[in-house]
Amino acid sequence: MPGLPELQAGFAAAVFEDDNRIASALRTGRFGGERLLQIYRHNSFASLTRALEAVYPVVARLVGEGFFRYAADRYIRQQPSTSGNLHDFGDRFAQFLEAFEPAATLPYLPDVARLEWAWHCVFHAAGHAALALEQLAAVPAAQHDRLVFGLHPAARLLASDYPILRIWQANQPDAEEQEIDLAEGGVRLLLWRRALDIEFKILGAGEFQLLRACADQPFAAACAAALAAEADFDLPAALQQHVLLGTIASFHLRPDTDPGTTLQGNTP
Amino acid sequence: MLPAPSAAVRPDPIPARAGIGLRARHYRDVLEQRPAIGWFEVHSENYFGDGGAPLYYLEQIRARYPLSLHGVGLSLGSADDLNRAHLQKLRSLIERFEPALVSEHLCWSSIGGRYLNDLLPLPYTEEALRHVCARIREAQDFLGRQILIENVSSYLEFAHSTIPEWEFLAAVASASGCGILLDVNNVYVSAMNHGFDAARYLRALPAAAIREMHLAGFSVNRYEDGEILIDTHGAPVAEPVWTLYRQALRQFGPLPTLIEWDTDIPPLAVLQDEMRRADAILNEERHARVA
Repeated sequence: MPGLPELQAGFAAAVFEDDNRIASALRTGRFGGERLLQIYRHNSFASLTRALEAVYPVVARLVGEGFFRYAADRYIRQQPSTSGNLHDFGDRFAQFLEAFEPAATLPYLPDVARLEWAWHCVFHAAGHAALALEQLAAVPAAQHDRLVFGLHPAARLLASDYPILRIWQANQPDAEEQEIDLAEGGVRLLLWRRALDIEFKILGAGEFQLLRACADQPFAAACAAALAAEADFDLPAALQQHVLLGTIASFHLRPDTDPGTTLQGNTP
Repeated sequence: MLPAPSAAVRPDPIPARAGIGLRARHYRDVLEQRPAIGWFEVHSENYFGDGGAPLYYLEQIRARYPLSLHGVGLSLGSADDLNRAHLQKLRSLIERFEPALVSEHLCWSSIGGRYLNDLLPLPYTEEALRHVCARIREAQDFLGRQILIENVSSYLEFAHSTIPEWEFLAAVASASGCGILLDVNNVYVSAMNHGFDAARYLRALPAAAIREMHLAGFSVNRYEDGEILIDTHGAPVAEPVWTLYRQALRQFGPLPTLIEWDTDIPPLAVLQDEMRRADAILNEERHARVA
């Protein structure tokens, strides 16, 4: 008779690895142990597949139901759920699809999955107040090279070689049929949530670099990266726009030569 | 968006009436129509995010209705250590929403860090009893409050189980100090699947520990050589479950009763019809007790 840890490990092996040895620990009456285990296998796979489908409806629509179920089955076995919260499941689906041989003919699929995961993260992310402009104005010019801006917690940046926004939009439930030419090229995207609504903005090369570098570099370095990406980039206009949109939502002063004078910007 | 509601006037506690399991597709109907629904229950994990629509709508609805938090992912019966990150999320949610009731399941969902995300049956042994009681106490200590534990539907039994489920559930309540969330549908489903007497199950339970009941619909898996009832929460409450519910009320008195419907979720009006039927039975039994 198995103790609790062995019994549960055996049960999980039956569900995920089709290893039915734990069937010998079951009381069997009308039905054999393998049939009973199959009910639980079906339940787990069905609920994990539903969770994936809820996050990746466009991927599901692009590949069709049968293909999606097959991909989900492989993903569930390769990258098991590690949380009691089903909303956490599916974070590695894009990487999985990249290596998933049957999807190799759809090279844009992993980036569409990245877009859907970003959408899911933005949906559940924290809110944040607008940037405190008075506090920013109070930063002495001599300290501007130590400014580090922060993106809104519900903002994500994505770049793809494929027109993933158009693909995403064309595969929404209420979208009209349309042809998308993959040769139309890639896109740089910002997704963010204002109040409850998730919005998209297509970014230029400089704007994208600015926001991406803002997340972890001092402002001066972010500006340099933006100008390197786009020589005639209108930096002041872009900065003002993203502060107004709320995508740039916080700042702090990097402790540089004198860590004692760090000034915190607004925090949530 | 509506203005942020005041936390000072939140309705409490949960009345001995029928409530409805709140799902995202009904948020707007509830806020626009303000229907006469006794209380709402939500799956705790659906509100583990940091912000956005789920928490916004729950704040709005909490300001107007009593609330119960019902967890499906704590994996109390697992041989793994309790998931502290999960417990911490739950504690934060409790602090934020001040639910009148907090419940979880008599089951396990994970082992070796791998989650099956299902409500899986325990063997009913002395070992499992000691283990799950210690873990319920640990969770209650961490959360600083009593939790209710719900009996789950099951499709198999373990050969080495030595304790009937009804005795196991009663022992869990008395040894851990938890309350019982009696899922009447789950009693019926398991009774049919395993061939025990549902009435005997009810008679074995300590009335003082029972704080809430659940009602839901099941589906039937048919095979050439028989059928198994599956707890899908995707159908109306079945007639024999209503009968068992009446019997439970007679035995335990009027209790908050939840209508659960989690898959193929119908319009709110369908849930309200089920709710009104539960309320009517609650009223009949209340008057029968007074008479």
